[in-house]
Amino acid sequence: MDHDSGPSTLSSQEDEGSGSTRLIGAHMPTAGGLKNSLTAGLEIGCTAVQLFTGNPRQWSHPSLTDDEIREFRATHEQTGIPFLVAHDSYLINLAAPAADVLERSRSAFRGELERAHALGIPWVVTHMGSHLDQGEEEAVKRLITSLKEILEETEAEGCTAGVALETTAGQGTGLGWSFNQLGDILKGVGDNPRLGVCMDTCHVFAAGYDIRTPEAYRETIQKFDDQVGIRYLRVIHTNDSKKGLGSRVDRHEHIGMGEIGMEAFSLLLNDSRLLHIPVVAETPDAQTMHRVNVARLRRLAASGAYGIVVTAQLFGHYSDLFPGGTVDVLLPKGAVVNDLAVALTDLNPALSDLASHCRFAIADDLVDGTTALREGCTVAALPPSSGG
Amino acid sequence: MMAYAYIGHEAIDKSALEKRVVTVEDGAVCTFVGNVRRHSRGREVAYLEYNAYLPIASRTLQEIADEAEARWQVKLAVQHKIGRVELGEASVVIVVASVHRAEAFDACRFCIDTLKEKVPIWKREVCPDGAFWIEGEEALPASKAD
Ligand SMILES: [Zn+2]
Ligand SMILES: [Zn+2]
Repeated sequence: MDHDSGPSTLSSQEDEGSGSTRLIGAHMPTAGGLKNSLTAGLEIGCTAVQLFTGNPRQWSHPSLTDDEIREFRATHEQTGIPFLVAHDSYLINLAAPAADVLERSRSAFRGELERAHALGIPWVVTHMGSHLDQGEEEAVKRLITSLKEILEETEAEGCTAGVALETTAGQGTGLGWSFNQLGDILKGVGDNPRLGVCMDTCHVFAAGYDIRTPEAYRETIQKFDDQVGIRYLRVIHTNDSKKGLGSRVDRHEHIGMGEIGMEAFSLLLNDSRLLHIPVVAETPDAQTMHRVNVARLRRLAASGAYGIVVTAQLFGHYSDLFPGGTVDVLLPKGAVVNDLAVALTDLNPALSDLASHCRFAIADDLVDGTTALREGCTVAALPPSSGG
Repeated sequence: MMAYAYIGHEAIDKSALEKRVVTVEDGAVCTFVGNVRRHSRGREVAYLEYNAYLPIASRTLQEIADEAEARWQVKLAVQHKIGRVELGEASVVIVVASVHRAEAFDACRFCIDTLKEKVPIWKREVCPDGAFWIEGEEALPASKAD
């Protein structure tokens, strides 16, 4: 590291409290049952777990049994892992030119959302599909139509799981590697609390956006904010890259060990705008190296000047959304109750009506949206009651 | 005098509650018992589970009880159970003692109506085929089974 100050210096006095609140984890294998991703995740210190809810290389999945759902939810509660996210099947192409593939993809993606909802997983990450050299503009239109229809149809069924569109590396004919195009797709689908974005550092870098120095990082995030919108960000895939800047090739590498390097991850994890956003590693050698990468991310996160940890205590049906009905959220210093409500909605779109539906309280005082939050405070969200 | 208001996991002892407020000066005792019933808006209920945000619930219930005592010049005791409440068991009991019946009825009614409106307590109806959170007039399917 060639600059003298800044958040990249690892401090020996780590802020353990804040460091362990950060939602950090990895894509965990589900061999032997979906719930194994959670127990293995807990074992290596994950506070966020990504998983496939079906076989990512197959079109059809045997539907989840009630027992599987119950077991998964019980394990989720036991492990207490605050954030879960699903990744969709690799076969799905919501922009496919061929009508039969498109229809199959739409139906498979509805299945992804339905399974996530049943399992209590708030977000499904998806790649934006490929145009396969049959016209990029038309493909973008098809993708927008697919997303609109799927969000509408699943909403009608009461599904609260949201779609996080993942920035891509621009390999082959993949859509969504340019921030501008991703921004257009979001605009095309229209505002929806169930629509968000997943930023993958490896993909962004391979697509030509540099994040290796503080200046480059600042410029890229500014571009992302202008053309996509940080407010859409729901998950960050923290992957280093085996290939160089602008290579348009998607090859993940261990954190800090690739072309991107350690500093970018330190900058990302200490960006005050992103403190509450979960980060998930999709790095190689899950069995041996996930533990190392998760610990590394956590150390980087603990190195910066931190925000405040606020506990949200949820009541009524909202209490089902997190283990124990509570979740610790990391917010920038100076955050107010409304900021907490926004951060909670980022974590789970089922909370998008929280602020309009609930009164908020700190200890025995009712507070309003502009009330300042203090380190360590607990904010209770109180929906309409039903005592008596 | 401060009214007696309590929210807790204990089963409610109605006669103990009456003993707290009734004296030989009282010509009227009005006791309201809110019981768990088998049917709720078309759903068959196996049992209920109540929980509360106690920091505000306890304070608010005390304020309601005190206001009722002051407004109608009565003595009032109210207790709400939280946790699991079985069919036929009381989730809430209100006892009002006063010289004449009109005040006792009015204070009792005010107490239960205001409690339902203002005290942050939530009911979860556990039915044979799933559970529901009750929030105001809404019944929302609970995603965690029991
Ligand atoms: Zn990714
Ligand atoms: Zn990738």
